[in-house]
Amino acid sequence: GSKMTNDTTSTSRETTTETTMPTNQALIDLQTHLKNSKELALPVAAIKSLLGVIQRSNSHTMMGLQEELRCASDAMIQWASKDNDDNSNNNQSNTPSLINRSTIALASGCQLFMKYVTRCFLELPDFTECKKQVLERGERFAGISLAARDRIAELGQEFIQDGQCVLVHGRSRVVGALLIKAATMYHKHFEIIVLEGRPDAGGCKVAKEFTDAGIPCSVVLDSAMGYVMERVDLVVVGAEGVVENGGIVNKIGTFALGVVAKEMGKPFYVAAESYKFARLYPLNQADLPDLTTKKLTFVDTAAAQS
Amino acid sequence: TQFRKREKYLNTSKMNTTEAPKTKDQPSPKNIRIPEKKPKLTKAERRALQEKQRAAKGQTKDGKQAAAPKQKQKQKQNQLPQQQQQLSSNKENHKNNGTVNVNDGGKVLGMFSHLPNYKRTELLSGKVSLGPMTNKKKQRFHPAVLQLGYQYANGTVRGANSRCRAMMDVLKKVVMDYELKKKQERVFNVVQLSQELDQEIKLVFQYWTSDCRGHSVSMGNAMTFQKIIVANLSHNRELTSMDEAKKLLCEQMDAYVNERITLAGEAISQHAILKIQDKGEVLLVHGHSEAVINVILQASKLGKVFRVIVVDSRPLMEGQSALHKLREAGIECTYILLNSLSYLMKEVTKVFLGAAALMSNGSVLSRVGTAGIALVSQSYNVPVLVCCETYKISARLQLESITYNELGNPNDVINFGDSGNIKNLTSLNLLYDLTPSDFVTGIITEMGLLPPSSVAVLLREMNPQDTAKYN
Repeated sequence: GSKMTNDTTSTSRETTTETTMPTNQALIDLQTHLKNSKELALPVAAIKSLLGVIQRSNSHTMMGLQEELRCASDAMIQWASKDNDDNSNNNQSNTPSLINRSTIALASGCQLFMKYVTRCFLELPDFTECKKQVLERGERFAGISLAARDRIAELGQEFIQDGQCVLVHGRSRVVGALLIKAATMYHKHFEIIVLEGRPDAGGCKVAKEFTDAGIPCSVVLDSAMGYVMERVDLVVVGAEGVVENGGIVNKIGTFALGVVAKEMGKPFYVAAESYKFARLYPLNQADLPDLTTKKLTFVDTAAAQS
Repeated sequence: TQFRKREKYLNTSKMNTTEAPKTKDQPSPKNIRIPEKKPKLTKAERRALQEKQRAAKGQTKDGKQAAAPKQKQKQKQNQLPQQQQQLSSNKENHKNNGTVNVNDGGKVLGMFSHLPNYKRTELLSGKVSLGPMTNKKKQRFHPAVLQLGYQYANGTVRGANSRCRAMMDVLKKVVMDYELKKKQERVFNVVQLSQELDQEIKLVFQYWTSDCRGHSVSMGNAMTFQKIIVANLSHNRELTSMDEAKKLLCEQMDAYVNERITLAGEAISQHAILKIQDKGEVLLVHGHSEAVINVILQASKLGKVFRVIVVDSRPLMEGQSALHKLREAGIECTYILLNSLSYLMKEVTKVFLGAAALMSNGSVLSRVGTAGIALVSQSYNVPVLVCCETYKISARLQLESITYNELGNPNDVINFGDSGNIKNLTSLNLLYDLTPSDFVTGIITEMGLLPPSSVAVLLREMNPQDTAKYN
């Protein structure tokens, strides 16, 4: 209690000089993490960078630390949303492209990380002790997030049984991991139908991964979802974000897919990591935050595939 | 199909019982006398028999005569058992097509006879001028109490927030003007004050509830808070004088009203305006809800440009006061009655509703007509947002609008004049209805915008004293 009031003036001076430093450093870390591992999810890379912010922090109060984390995550989110708007051609070769990657999960991941690590501060009087615990919690959170995809694959493969036909939409890596694990590690025999996924033809790309793993896979038009629904047994999709009333934000077409699946009585599963739970409450489609201002170009799917 | 299955099962079980004696090895003994069936008494005859037995019992127990008048007084204060007595003793119950005569000469549908009946103001005015005699000591109430009671009864003070605020105001006066009954010892005894105040406030609340108008959920929750702070007074070792104790109580009551009602309303506005776009919105409101009007006025102050459709309903026509407030702020308004709702619903972008109470499953108890609006909105895919402070959350769970409701003045709906009761015609004036949680998109409280499933969590966090009752 008293510690905070004494130190607020010094930390405000600290943070004003340090604001330029941690943001760039966190951003650099983020970009490094993304470059090093193509498989790493954007929010997980951000969480790792935030962990770095705590390690480097010179702050003596919890509020100072929170401020640093907030600056870093704001910078990362700003960069990510800006990158989405820019044309892909303008990207420099060393910064990985974030085209079509949603920033909802990034924002929610950072927010949850900050809430989780700073929740302990009321219990310990000494700040160095506190910081140690904050770092511990941060590492735990990062570990959980990193292992999330594998954990979901482990839990989710139980829903796939032999002889089933699974419908997939979008290029979710979680769903990919889930299905590939079911086929390779648990030796289940099933087939996959993938929706093409215009405009980025994500479905075609992910179909290749499934066939490489040895799962028979068919790619159909997006408009064929009504036609194929009767022959599938279940639908699995990923999520960009999970919103407060229990709904999900996902690639365009997921809502229609959900409506058709419900009408035909097919189970509709969503595989999403816990850091994707966002503080959003959209009342309808128009209420979603604007993700990108990029204009859509109608390209040939075959061209996009290559 | 499930019902048919059950029937089939029942039928088969019946078959088994009839076949059982045949399969028994021993024949049924012939010397057992099967008593003849007693003739079925009608309800009136059974009642007469009961009265006879009770009278016989009363004669043998003379010592317990003192208990009788006390019980009678208890019954007088509590309307419900009295009504039930009326019900059972009414011989013409079935002949009246389900209506029941109640003690002040009005009629009420049998299905709604469990509800607190509308208390005629004419009857009440007689009591008010004399001052009610509450208990054997003939204690009179504070004049502010009587005034508020009358205002409750004739509808001058209406609406959950207004009633609660007025109640807290009057209770503050009662506390400030309170004189200890027993002779005051030299040293100030805070426990005595606490006990006496508790008793006095209880009597005041009982008077309002039983003689003026049934209490709202908001008043009930505020009353629970009141009981707690008065009880906590006796644990407070730092109070040295009665004035200090009274001041403390008043401060606590002010804080409750300020935090749970006034500031909560402002917080609700802050959360709600995030959902209102800057341009092009068409908002729908029903009646007059303090929280909703605050939201709209705040949004207008921030410069958002939108239209408001005010839906009103008879007989209270509360929407007119809402309309005046909105027009004073210069907001473009449309005023309709409930019956033209489906005509205008296609233009509406969002619906804001107020609440009298929130049930723990997210259902909303509100002015009658609200459920209909929510239903129509849902069928047009218009999001329905309910603005409600957390102090109105009730631990009760209600599934429909009949078990808990309130009857208003039947003459407001249709007035037959002096001809009075027309045979086979009753007018029903219900004040509340329940909107199921399925029709509610989101609930805006001072804690933020939450789905209806989160109300139980809010109850636990914000009103822990209410959940304790049910543990």
